[in-house]
Amino acid sequence: MSSNKDGFVQYHFRDAIGGFFEFPTENARAILPPDLQPIEPHHGSSVLSVMAFDFHDSPVGEYGELILSILVAPRIDPGQPWPRSAFYPFRLGTTTRESREHAIERWHLPHYMQDISIAWERGDGHIRIAATDRGQPIVDMTITEHEWSPVEHRYQAFMNDEDGAYTSTIIMAGQFSENEEERGGIVIHSQAMTDLLEDWEVDVTPFRELWMKNGLQTFHPLQQLASYARR
Amino acid sequence: MATRVEAQTSMSVSDYDYSSFFYSSSDDPFAILEPYNEWYTRALQQGYYLFSQPMSTPPRGKIDLTEGLHHQHIKLLNLSSYNYLGLSYRPEVIAAAKAALDQYGLGAAGSPILSGTMDIHVQLEEALAKFKGKEAAMVFPTGYSTNVGMISGLMRPGDWVIADQNAHASIVDGAILSKANVRFFRHNNPADLEKKLKQTTGKKLVAIEGVYSMDGDVCPLPELLAVAKKYGARVLLDEAHSAFVYGANGRGVAEHYGLEDEVDIHIGTFSKALGGQGGYVAGTRNLYNYLKGFARSRVFSCTLSPVVAAGVLKSLEIAQKEPQLREQLWKNVAHIRSRLEDEGVDVGESTSQVIPIMVRNDRRIFELGHKLLRAGLYLQPIIYPAVAKHRSRFRVSISASHTFEQLDEGVATLVRVLREEGILV
Repeated sequence: MSSNKDGFVQYHFRDAIGGFFEFPTENARAILPPDLQPIEPHHGSSVLSVMAFDFHDSPVGEYGELILSILVAPRIDPGQPWPRSAFYPFRLGTTTRESREHAIERWHLPHYMQDISIAWERGDGHIRIAATDRGQPIVDMTITEHEWSPVEHRYQAFMNDEDGAYTSTIIMAGQFSENEEERGGIVIHSQAMTDLLEDWEVDVTPFRELWMKNGLQTFHPLQQLASYARR
Repeated sequence: MATRVEAQTSMSVSDYDYSSFFYSSSDDPFAILEPYNEWYTRALQQGYYLFSQPMSTPPRGKIDLTEGLHHQHIKLLNLSSYNYLGLSYRPEVIAAAKAALDQYGLGAAGSPILSGTMDIHVQLEEALAKFKGKEAAMVFPTGYSTNVGMISGLMRPGDWVIADQNAHASIVDGAILSKANVRFFRHNNPADLEKKLKQTTGKKLVAIEGVYSMDGDVCPLPELLAVAKKYGARVLLDEAHSAFVYGANGRGVAEHYGLEDEVDIHIGTFSKALGGQGGYVAGTRNLYNYLKGFARSRVFSCTLSPVVAAGVLKSLEIAQKEPQLREQLWKNVAHIRSRLEDEGVDVGESTSQVIPIMVRNDRRIFELGHKLLRAGLYLQPIIYPAVAKHRSRFRVSISASHTFEQLDEGVATLVRVLREEGILV
């Protein structure tokens, strides 16, 4: 069951998938707050993370979510646990209004304000999603599997809105597969949710593919930041 | 209640890499040192660090080494050194270096444009230019400084450097320092190079390598050159791992393909096949003269030690006079490749003297490395981020000085450990 005690919020999911795609750093810097540094796998190339979740139990019930983020340098504090990596989500789409309002109010996450649909196709060794808005395609993405092992990973998310800047630790636990075999793919359609990406030169092959099954996502209490992680 | 993961003890050191420790949230630049050192210390303790283990012998087929986990002195069969022609410890090379030590002393004691140029440096540059069939060759103190000085000395803000995605850090850093626009094309992929070049205007430099050091594969030079020329780009070919090894006369992959005149800038190092240290740029006299003023990594470094320069000059002479060294190297490569194939070992895409032994298991590669050390075989593990996740491997470097018996012993040890550990079935 999901819980909401002491500021920790849990979201149970059947599948969570992610693809990391290279795109020009100048595009990343154009939307990142100045104090967040993009991770560059190659000089001049940053990382667009496209993630999709199939939640079956949460404080706002069952829903699907599509998240567009940029990978940024994690905030490392002496004496504190280290995040595996950090994200700056710049646009999210959800399948229900309730989940959208919850995420905006609770986590200050920037949303596409229409209900979207996410179709999941689970195949042999791969999983595909097709995200649409009233029949109009947004994103099609295929992620392939590798070896599975149980993990508990710590991530960081950075958010900002007109009220301020925030960060939260997110723990992801479940059966996990990760590979850099470049077998997956993405099609980003021209659509209102993806309008920011239209002029970006995004690789169509993910250099890293992530997939977690039967997992639990736990948000730690939100922290307000005086500024983002400083250089 | 949420599951909290506050204890670091449950974390795996392999979940992190250098990018995790690039920034801290503090205003004190030293604040990142403590978290990084905690990670580094754990990596050492857990055996996740098999690098920088000191050797106390020349990089021969058999070496003495102090291993890092228990600090024990051990004797190993060495399949890790770059000494492709076995020249680093040739008696004539050592004698030349000793004579130079007597004549010049230890160092050059100055920048090459001030007091650091000695006649041995001029002789080396002239011999290199003659060998490469170019108007001029310029010597740099290291291979790294060669690409850094070459690229940053020539390219400017607003220009374009288009490099293979597996290009060496020295190419990347040279491009960054130049402040030119930088793009990377998919490894050895002419179609993607064309896609990237189509998006550029103005001055363009395509930077590629003859043999890539992690996979041991050779660049498709004819196809890449054709694309580069179509878009008016100059081409820099780094032959760090292919010069003195490839081509009928050892002039590298460019000679192998018969395309030496089509390549605009020839780069190489002395630290691989010639067994020394330093690097060079070979090309036109105009390029030489320009770099003399603008290659800041050379201008503001002390010149290569005359001792090393004399040793390298002798190595170059031997490499030309003894083509049988290259022949022996290729016989050795064919021999070990055949043995590895017979045993079903995965060697990836390699066709060169650099042979990856693909393990494809990031979590077990260091454990395997320790087992190989205990079994008497010295192989370097290569792991993310040097290569993609789950493409971890050991890298075998073959030398002309290896004997077939040593190569057979190496394969037998490797195969036994891989089978015992279930990597090889």
